[in-house]
Amino acid sequence: MQKVFNNKLAIFLFVFPGILLFALTFLVPIVLSGYYSFRDTLSPGTPSAFIGFANYTELLFHDSRFWLALRNAVLLGLGFILIQHPIAIFFAIMLDRLGGKAEKWFRTIFFIPCVISVVVISKMWLSLLDPTFGAFNKMLDSLGLGFLKHAWLGDSSTALVSMLFILIWAGFGWGLLFYYAGLKGIPDDMYEAASLDGASGFRLHWRITVPLLSPVITVQITLAMITALKQMETVFLTTNGGPGDSTQFLAVYLYNKAFSASQYGYANAISILFIVVCLLATYLSNKLTRSDATEF
Amino acid sequence: MSKSTKTILWVFFLIVALVQLFPLIWLVDFSFLSSTEFYSSSVLKWPSDPQWQNYINAWVDGKFLRYFINSAFVTTVTILLTVILSLTLGYAFTRMQWKLRSVFFTIILLGIMIPIHATLLPNFAIFKALGLTNSYLGLILPYTAVSVPLGTFILTGFMRSIPKAMEESAVVDGANIYRIVFQIIAPLTAPALVTVIVTTFLNCWNEFIMASTFLSKDSLKTLPFSVMNFAGQYSSDYGSQFAVMVLTSIPAIIIYAIFNEQITKGVTAGAVKG
Repeated sequence: MQKVFNNKLAIFLFVFPGILLFALTFLVPIVLSGYYSFRDTLSPGTPSAFIGFANYTELLFHDSRFWLALRNAVLLGLGFILIQHPIAIFFAIMLDRLGGKAEKWFRTIFFIPCVISVVVISKMWLSLLDPTFGAFNKMLDSLGLGFLKHAWLGDSSTALVSMLFILIWAGFGWGLLFYYAGLKGIPDDMYEAASLDGASGFRLHWRITVPLLSPVITVQITLAMITALKQMETVFLTTNGGPGDSTQFLAVYLYNKAFSASQYGYANAISILFIVVCLLATYLSNKLTRSDATEF
Repeated sequence: MSKSTKTILWVFFLIVALVQLFPLIWLVDFSFLSSTEFYSSSVLKWPSDPQWQNYINAWVDGKFLRYFINSAFVTTVTILLTVILSLTLGYAFTRMQWKLRSVFFTIILLGIMIPIHATLLPNFAIFKALGLTNSYLGLILPYTAVSVPLGTFILTGFMRSIPKAMEESAVVDGANIYRIVFQIIAPLTAPALVTVIVTTFLNCWNEFIMASTFLSKDSLKTLPFSVMNFAGQYSSDYGSQFAVMVLTSIPAIIIYAIFNEQITKGVTAGAVKG
């Protein structure tokens, strides 16, 4: 047995291709990004001057957009954790109680938005929220709430909230599926024991389901923060960070800096800070949630 | 649960499902309207004269078939590579004994946390220098690289739960390491492999940013482009735009309908054992 597990050639064959691919598309680019982040360059390969940490000091101390993008990501992450996930947990519990064919059907239906392409989702919501023909404003009209009509994505005071709404709608199915799967792993006798002790309804779930789901919740919170930080496509295709940077996110910002504003060096500095922020967020949310979860 | 509670729950779910699917229902509905009907005051509208022409425009001018074939090819190759690499990496990380195991495992897992968008700029420069932009490989390589970390993570979680006795009896029967991995371990990890396949499928099939950065040649473009190309060309013809959006969504929904059960099983297995 040991001989099989120690097979050096097999280990090499199993690991090398994956590591090579990973190095070529992740590690080398990051090193290259780091190199360009110290230069004042307009596009890759053009001759450029070494400017040290100038891009970084500019970003950290003089660029309010960078901080705004970071703030928006944090708000989005909090939105996921405080709005999307509680709803998903609630629906997972209800779905689990429904049973039978209906359970399967509704589970299938709730996941459908998750399989739709981000391009379709973005263009669809742009139309739905369109101030002239969008269904959303028409609905407000027919409910007699016409005074609330709005250019939802076009007004800087509502754009971020609208974005949050779109993203919660689009990602709800994944959250639901993970919590539902977690619920299926909780043995029935736990509930039986608790109902014998007199717990029922809401109390039963608060005392039994939520604590037993905590490993799933922990992972989901970390994932929610990463998802929020990495957010790009939907924003890029709907508001492109606007109006007036109200929906700015790091990935959108760096993309536009590189490809529209031709500030390639600066964009790479954003890339490097972006990676640092993501690693830091993962580390922190792991640390914070782990200590919580240990009591169960 | 009493029958009446069940009925209330059922009705509640039905309403929520309708609300949640409303945007898609609206999309399908309006894809059959002519642009003049868009501005009427009703939220949904029964098409008086269904505009099938919208779908013909979508199919022809959206270059639907060409882009569909590109998407299918890129996605299939990516899934194959992802499965093989995640399986072998996962096995090497859980069972094989070697010195740098935990170091390499951590490096691979970094891929889950590092945003792909942060590597977009340098990758564009590298791919351009290597002549990989405007090639299928220019999409397959980064798509696989993004999918492997998550795949490896899911599979290592699953493999840890497989008893070692499986391999021991195989060794006694004279199987070598490659047969063990591909003929014994691979079938045993099937539920987790399905999760890997489905998440990889959804990510690649719908991916847009990398594709739009690395591709400019029309003959190589993937399905999301049929929507993007259309927006400019038919800027005021919303009916045709909506038709192309409906067409683009159908393949993914069909695939999902077929594998729906396995997706849940796979996620359940992952959530319980991972």
